[in-house]
Parts: sequence; C-alpha cells; structure tokens
Amino acid sequence: MTSVALELRSVTKQFGDKLALDNLSLSVPTGSVFGFLGPNGAGKTTTIRIVAGLARATAGTVRVLGGSAGVEATAARAGVGYLPDVPGFYSWMDARSFLRFAGELFGLSGRTLEERIDVLLDLSGLVGVTQRLGEYSRGMRQRLGLAQALVNAPQLLLLDEPTSALDPLGRKNVLDMVQSLRGRTTVFFSTHILSDVERVCDSVAIINRGRLIAESSMDDLLRQYGRQWIRLEVEAPPCEMAQAVAGFPWLVESKEVEGGLRLAVRDVRAAQKAVPEMLAARGWGLRRFEVEEAGLEDVFVQLVGEAAE
Amino acid sequence: MRGFAPLFRKELREMRRTARLWVLPGIMLFFALTAPLLAKLTPILLNSGALAEEGVVIQVADPTYLDAYRSFSQNLTQLMIMAVIIAAGGLVSGEVRKGTAALVLAKPVSRAAFVLAKGASQALLVLVTALVGAAGSWAATYLAFGEAPVAALVAGVGLWTVMALLFSAAMLVISAGVASQPGAAGIGLGAYALLAVLSLWSAAKRFTPAGLFDAVYAALAGESASLLWPALTGLVGAGLLLTGAVAVFRTREI
Repeated sequence: MTSVALELRSVTKQFGDKLALDNLSLSVPTGSVFGFLGPNGAGKTTTIRIVAGLARATAGTVRVLGGSAGVEATAARAGVGYLPDVPGFYSWMDARSFLRFAGELFGLSGRTLEERIDVLLDLSGLVGVTQRLGEYSRGMRQRLGLAQALVNAPQLLLLDEPTSALDPLGRKNVLDMVQSLRGRTTVFFSTHILSDVERVCDSVAIINRGRLIAESSMDDLLRQYGRQWIRLEVEAPPCEMAQAVAGFPWLVESKEVEGGLRLAVRDVRAAQKAVPEMLAARGWGLRRFEVEEAGLEDVFVQLVGEAAE
Repeated sequence: MRGFAPLFRKELREMRRTARLWVLPGIMLFFALTAPLLAKLTPILLNSGALAEEGVVIQVADPTYLDAYRSFSQNLTQLMIMAVIIAAGGLVSGEVRKGTAALVLAKPVSRAAFVLAKGASQALLVLVTALVGAAGSWAATYLAFGEAPVAALVAGVGLWTVMALLFSAAMLVISAGVASQPGAAGIGLGAYALLAVLSLWSAAKRFTPAGLFDAVYAALAGESASLLWPALTGLVGAGLLLTGAVAVFRTREI
C-alpha cells in the first residue's frame, strides 16, 4: 500500500478565461481523514471531479492509490468511492436496487453484494424503506449517496460537501461514520463547515481561488497559523484600554467588543504577565481575563483574508 | 469496455419501469392499425359528406392492401422517425443533467460502455417497435382486405428499422454533446429535414441513407427503387455515428 492515497501535482483547470485551479499540488496521506477547505467557488468541487475522473485537468497530474487518474483510467476508480454534493439517482429505483446496481458496476455480485447492501442500508438508516428514490427527502438521498460510495469498501473515499444538506442528527451520523473509517479508508472531505473539519479531520488543506494556501496536519496548522486570543474586560473605557496595550510587543491586534477588548497575541505568557502589571500601574480593576484557544475558523478567516488581499 | 453488462441491464429495466418501453411501440401500433382502417374507410368517408347530399358521386377505385401499406409507409418515414428523434433526445444528456451519470462514471465504468449500453438498448427498442409495427400492420391489413403480403411488409419495415437505427445513433451523438434535451431533439429534427431535402437529389437517393425515405415506400408499395445502397450506407452510417457518440462523450465533462 502506498503512503500517499491521493496526489495532485501542479494541477491547473481552466474554463474559458476563468482559472478554476491554479497550479494546485497536494498529498493526502493513506488512512487520513483529510479536510479540503475553501470558500464557495474556491475550486473544491472541480478538484474532486478531476480526481473522480469526471473532468480533465488542463495541466498537471493526478495519482490515485498509486495509479494515474483520469477520465479513461477506469481501473484506478475500482478502489474509490465518490459522493457528489448533490447526488442524482434513478427515480424509479429503490435503495436496494440502486445499491445493487452500484455494486455491479464494481464487479460485485451474489451473496457478497447482498450482505454488503444489508450492512449499508442499516448504516444509512434505510432498512425497510420501500419508497422509490424519486420520493426521497434530501437527507435520505445524502445518506443513500454515502452508502453507495461505500459499496466497494473503498480505499479512498471522496466526499464533496457531504453534510451541507443534513439536519444536525444526520450530520452527526455522517461525521460518526467518517470517523469510524479512520485508519481503514482515506477520506478526502471537502466542506466549508469548519466545525465538521475540526471534529473529524486529522489533516487539512485550504484553497482559495484555485490556489493552495495551506496544507498540514490540523495540529500543525493551528500551531503555525492560529493566533491565541485574550478576552479582556477592565474598569476603564475600551478605547483607553486599547491605547494602553497598543505598545506591547506580544500584541498582534486588538478589537473592541462589547464590554472590553479582544486581543490577538503571539505570546500568551508575556501577556499574562504584562496585563496585570499595566492594570496595577493605572489603578484599573480587572473584570475578565480569558485566554481563548485558537480555532480553525480564525486560521481560515486569517488565511483566506490574507490571500484575498 | 468495462461496465457494459450492468449498464445494459439497467437500461432494459429502466425501459420496463418507465414509459419508454411503451411509447414507441405504442405509436407504431397506432399507425399500423389505423393505416388499413383509413384506407378501407376513405371511399365511404368521401361519399358520405356534404357532396353526396348534393347528389355528387365521387368515383374512387376499390381500396386494396397497397393503399394501406402506402399510408403506413408515409407514417413510418415521417411521424415514426420524428418520434424516435424526440424520444432519444435525452438519452445521454438527461443522465448528465440529473446527476446520475456522475455517480455511474465515477465508478470503474468506461465512457464507451455508458454510451454503447444506451445504443444497444435503443436498438433493441427499435427492433421491438418494428416487430410490433409489422405484426400489427399485417393483422390489420389482412382483416381489412383479406390479403397482406409478408415479404413487402418485412422489406419495408426492415428498411425503416435501418432508418430508425441511423437516427437513434445520430441522437446519441447529439445527446452526448448537447446538454439540453429539447435542444438535442431540435438538432435531430433539423438533421431529419436535411436528409429529406437530400433525398430529392437522385444520386443521394440512390447511394446514401437519404434514399431510405423512398426505399421504405417503394418496398411497401411494390415499386422499384434502390434499396441495397441506402440500407448498407444507413447501417454503416449508424455504426460511424455510434463511434462518434463515444468519441464525443469521452471529451465531455460531467
């Protein structure tokens, strides 16, 4: 088994004058749950469509599970499962017949396929549902979409915005399912829901306007880009407080918020020492001093904002 | 051509589970049954109108099975081919638009298998339609006139089958490249009109599929016409168009 399940090298995709992907390179480690983040229109779906063999890169190479990917690379897709953002089904089929059809496309048949269908129907909460797929709700379609993506027990699972159409319970089920695949299946998970990524992903890449702006493990990303914030409330007007902290070298920026300041700091320890000294010198009483942990949302806003500038 | 067998089975089930299996054979049966009936009733209808009340008698020769076959042949080359074109307009583009093609083609399935499974199922539907038409026309003509030569009917419907296969293959190419079903049907009808115009040119009528218009009529009406070349070039054309459909679909982004 290769140590990299999915690799993109200098992938460019052009639609007429529009550059959808600009020299995109990334590596997805085998067994990881990889979050692929970006604002709407960043190029996430285009990337996944190229990896899934539904679209062609204008330039660059894509390797899936050690082999070349592409529209005609059918063998490379044997170990891949794919759930698009809006899965389309044959409205005249029911869930079992669709999963059987999906399995047959992977060359599965007989008892093995039927047993796998039973497990997947159970997993997606569709046991005993006899409705035709044309009558399914969006949530049901999404759950069936995930089930069909798992029918071949894929080594690489491509999920394009898998939770965006789901209610909180459906979202939890999908995320639990993704988490349960960790180590066995590599999951490439595109989304703009940052809390989903924080919950299940161990590695992450962020793209904006078709360009990769960050790629690393979640921990490294937060360590590297995550600013820590301090919520500070004292017995003084916020504008005076802002002036008082302005000269400290550990301060990155300060924002006025209701009742006080929110300070982005590069050295929490230094701030923890300096702020009480400053308050004592000015005779201001302390109401609140709270260190907020760095989150993916801050990193995302910071990186995407910087890229936009 | 990986994935052809399950895709072909899906196409057959889809035809059975949706109205697709019944539409073309149904229209064909309607024309097959009504052509002899209209041929039989035409003299009676002509003499039962207002002119008859005024004492005018219209002399019409007694209708024969040939009148029924001629009327049937006109419906075959006009309305039935248009029905084939419209019905096949969304064969590929419909799946792309609905998103089903994306789920299928992200699996280890070749684009060629996807198109050819549709081509094979459509060819089967055309054959079933032709059989229904031939059987219906023979039965209705025999009941109406007491005779219905099988050889002429088989030749005429056989040539129509070639024509329907040609237009089905053309629709696969168009549908593989054009996103909209009405748009694809419109282009298909344009191609039909072009071939009909081409059939006015004697050389084209003799050596190309444009001759199928006349050939179907001639076979059913017992007249002489060039049958071999239009049939052969029609079949070769259908094969080439099918290959073209695969090539076009290979370049399409889903």
